Amino acid sequence: MDVRGGPSDQEVVARVLGGDREAFGLVIRRYETGLVRFATRMLGSRDAAADAVAESLMRAYRHLASCRDPSRLRTWLYRIVANRCKSYLARRHVGDVTLEEASPVADSTDNEASLERAEQLALAARALAQLSSEKREAFVLKHVEGLSYQEMAAVTGVRIPTLKMRVHRAREALLRALEDHA
Amino acid sequence: MNAIDPRIHQALDGEISRDSLPPELRGTVDRLETVAALLASAPAAAGLEARVMAALRRPAPPGAGARRLVRWLTTPHPVTFRIRPAWSLALAAAVALLTLVPTQEAGPVLGEHEGIAQFVGRFPDARSVHVVGSFNDWRPGTIPLEDPDHDGVWRATVVLPTGAYEYMFVVDGERWVPDHMVDRLVEDDFGRENSIVIVRTARR
Repeated sequence: MDVRGGPSDQEVVARVLGGDREAFGLVIRRYETGLVRFATRMLGSRDAAADAVAESLMRAYRHLASCRDPSRLRTWLYRIVANRCKSYLARRHVGDVTLEEASPVADSTDNEASLERAEQLALAARALAQLSSEKREAFVLKHVEGLSYQEMAAVTGVRIPTLKMRVHRAREALLRALEDHA
Repeated sequence: MNAIDPRIHQALDGEISRDSLPPELRGTVDRLETVAALLASAPAAAGLEARVMAALRRPAPPGAGARRLVRWLTTPHPVTFRIRPAWSLALAAAVALLTLVPTQEAGPVLGEHEGIAQFVGRFPDARSVHVVGSFNDWRPGTIPLEDPDHDGVWRATVVLPTGAYEYMFVVDGERWVPDHMVDRLVEDDFGRENSIVIVRTARR
């Protein structure tokens, strides 16, 4: 659930740092959808993504005082999750996600339109899974999460020209992968 | 690599209007945007908030900090060590260094696996300086440094369990700076450069 309105990120962070631990729940509700979606697309597994985001949020809570600019809490959280995903992929010794994990499963009660949509999503997820982790990260941050190149630079620590090149190459690689799977 | 028409990238990056593209290029833009929209439909993880908040409410078991440290030391990390140039070392010598102080008879009573770390930094215009690190969960305000003679050199002596810790100084409650007087720095998950102190048991 995306929580709009309410106190600003700066106010929420100040409350948490002031001892109101429960206020951190607002941070979770505000950003969990995007963070889990990002981690799912990076790891290709909803379970692994949920674990990665949960660990990242606990880490963020412990280190909240070191978030120097609470107005940029969102990109700070993405950065922690991105690093957690990299650690996870490094432990698996592969940069690619597994295809069966990437495939969504359509419910038997779904109508034809939703089944077709599930197939299209499976195709898109398989194509995305073929990209290197760097290209996948660049494409997902830019086009799925809708971050600006400036925000992407804050998340990844990579310079904007390099990120643009990665996004361009990711688009090209994705189109090729889509053709291969079509 | 089959490069696509640069105008497609320009349209997707918002640099030109997609309406200015010829129809065959607009189709490629549509395809990529459709894929992005599909990938944006990932469901949320059920119960994530409850799971995280339950973990945060749970009191840390005794020794949790030490276990985290052991885990940190035994798992691979992207660590970059840098040797500071000579001028930095000279500056370091001019002020103070992070040192380990052997146990003195009149000093604090140390446990078998404890040592003393001395944190020293030169902040001439500071109103307050604190040290934060993996030993105090990065909580500012818990370990102040002192400058009783007002010479701009701030100090704190802390008893810690033996091991390696990352730390930074917090100046005036808002400015986080690494200790540039040491030559061991590590980049953490948040893109910061932290200093490292290694605490060893005091000679007995």
